[in-house]
Amino acid sequence: MALDAYAEASDDALLVLYGNGDPMAAELLTRRLAPRVLGYGTRLLGGDRAEAEDVTQEAMLRLWKIAPDWRTGEAKVSTWLFRVVSNLCTDRLRKRRNVDIDAIEEPADDTPGAVDKMIQADRVAALQTALNALPERQRIAVTLRHIEGEANPEIAQIMDISIEAVESLTARGKKALATALAGQREELGYGTN
Amino acid sequence: MAQTDKDMLDDTALDAFFDAARSDIAAPSDALVSAILADAEAHQPQCGSHAGTAVDPGASRGFWADLVAAVGGWPSLAGMATATVAGVWIGFAAPIQLETMSGGLILTGDYTLADESYALEDLAPSYLGTSLLLEDEG
Repeated sequence: MALDAYAEASDDALLVLYGNGDPMAAELLTRRLAPRVLGYGTRLLGGDRAEAEDVTQEAMLRLWKIAPDWRTGEAKVSTWLFRVVSNLCTDRLRKRRNVDIDAIEEPADDTPGAVDKMIQADRVAALQTALNALPERQRIAVTLRHIEGEANPEIAQIMDISIEAVESLTARGKKALATALAGQREELGYGTN
Repeated sequence: MAQTDKDMLDDTALDAFFDAARSDIAAPSDALVSAILADAEAHQPQCGSHAGTAVDPGASRGFWADLVAAVGGWPSLAGMATATVAGVWIGFAAPIQLETMSGGLILTGDYTLADESYALEDLAPSYLGTSLLLEDEG
């Protein structure tokens, strides 16, 4: 009964197995969830990988602790984790800065240019820079929707807001990103048309 | 509106950034995975026991918990409560309906007539207090 036997099991089922003392479940859950948690945390924390690793360990620790009381079918494990990570990152960002991070202005750089030739790493870096400039809640909503691939109802659960509010945040965030990234093309040395 | 072409990326161009970010998988370091698994091991309940201890499992349960467990848990308790409420309702409110439903087998006679029906205090004199009893005797 190697890990393969668990490969088809849902996160929910694995967490229950872990709560029942199964020794394999934690490893598979870690393999599945830790990369997503780490990636999401890194994006929210402005690319700070070391701090995101701390957040990942803390979020997974909370998952292990809640396992015995986990109620299957009430929420997806990933949704629960994203919520924990969002809160942990928000706390850390607030400690990091004393300014009101929701009050940061949306970038308004409007330099046109061509992005087609950007290589992937540059795109990732440019997107991160643009995400960093977004107000926090827009950053969370856009990251969950367009990078983590979560559906709006799940994002509403994670952020504890209505689906309409999620739609509004993602729309505004996406628009701000489109504007900021259009402006970064020249800065990144890809020229303009 | 008109700024879309020049000042903003269109959806396709923006999606390329999202795609790039999505494929930029953050592989956790071995140290992080080890730390996570060490936490998992430290906090994992023992196999087959949520309490994780060998002490008398009944010792920590209170009287009410024992009572609920004795009747079969909360679902059973809910059923008992429903049956109780239904009994009270039938007793107070539904002799006529009961007559209808039973097809005249349970109750006989016309219970709509005031002189043939019993008042509550006839059946349970203490229900309205002892003063009624005293009145009858006097």
